[in-house]
Amino acid sequence: MKNFHRAHNSGQLLIVAALAIAILISSTTIYVYELSREKTATQNQLTTEFILALKQSSRNTVISSLANASKGGEKSVLETNLNSLLQAYRSLSQPGICNLSFTVLNDSNYADGIWLSWGEIDDFGVSSAYANFSLAIYGLEANITANYAVNVTTAVTLEGYYTTNGLEKLVNLSCRVFNEGKPALAKNITLYYEDLGVWLPVNSSNNLSITDYGNGTYAISFTVITISDTVPISAHINDLREIFVQANIICH
Amino acid sequence: MKAHNKGQIRIVEAFLSGLIIFSAFAISANLTITQNSVKNDDLAAVGLQALVMLDSDGSLAKYIEDENWNGLRDALNLLLPTSVCFNLTIYDENMQQVNMDTISNGGFSSQQIAFVEYVCASQGVTFRVYIVHLLLAVVT
Repeated sequence: MKNFHRAHNSGQLLIVAALAIAILISSTTIYVYELSREKTATQNQLTTEFILALKQSSRNTVISSLANASKGGEKSVLETNLNSLLQAYRSLSQPGICNLSFTVLNDSNYADGIWLSWGEIDDFGVSSAYANFSLAIYGLEANITANYAVNVTTAVTLEGYYTTNGLEKLVNLSCRVFNEGKPALAKNITLYYEDLGVWLPVNSSNNLSITDYGNGTYAISFTVITISDTVPISAHINDLREIFVQANIICH
Repeated sequence: MKAHNKGQIRIVEAFLSGLIIFSAFAISANLTITQNSVKNDDLAAVGLQALVMLDSDGSLAKYIEDENWNGLRDALNLLLPTSVCFNLTIYDENMQQVNMDTISNGGFSSQQIAFVEYVCASQGVTFRVYIVHLLLAVVT
């Protein structure tokens, strides 16, 4: 009877041990699974931030290139600067392999990714840069490919007329500045008017007044003395990103 | 014969116990490493996010070009969680160190350290590229 009990206890011990092992294995498996899910989410966040950083720096490069080209720099500056950026990314010690390539836009408006249209269209001027990017990240957890475009555009529109008082003409202009199609602020506005074929700057002697409405719209008024029936005006504007743009209007 | 069987069962039980304890140790050690890796990736993501935010309007490059290291430190202090300390080093495209002053908000006394490498492109008329090395640690 005693031996029977001992044998019985030994069997119970094995069952209890087997159960304990099963619970341990299952709980460990669940814990590891949850942790691996968390790790994947974290790595995805890191990859997302890396892609955002890449887009940010490519956008900054396009802005810098347009600022340079709009101030008399070569149009090829965009390609040169983007190559410098790519070179910097290649020097990084990122986990996995990151391939970034670009093409600058060439079409009827853009040459080498740059479009400067100043005075070709009445009352409107535009400075724009456009580049397409292709990104491929081959990481340990996942492979990501993405294509994106960066378009930086500063545009300005002019509306205006003059009222006459003898030889003196009071010119009223409405100037609107846009960045990527949205109203934007100008850093500075310089105006010129044409008299007898000569472009003259508008300054305080012309009673120049510029009212900034804070929403990208500027009301400008000044006086000029001219015998001409029309007053050609040229507005030269730098936006807050140092991108230069020019627009011309003929006031009647 | 029964005593012989009993001895064998004891050996099997002892072997199983040893195996269970060893497995528990092995798995625990492995899990600890994974957890640290997760936290470091988290910290790196936070650091990268702060740099992206600072660079979104070109401020990062402006601080660097103006050599305004105090301003840069204050800006990072605002963007990073209070429990995180950092050390920032800036290099130009030829990997020459740009900042001669230390850009940091305190000492590193944590085992949880993350490293972030960031390419900062300037928005200015003269294009410049900087490589930013950001070391982050959780204050313990």
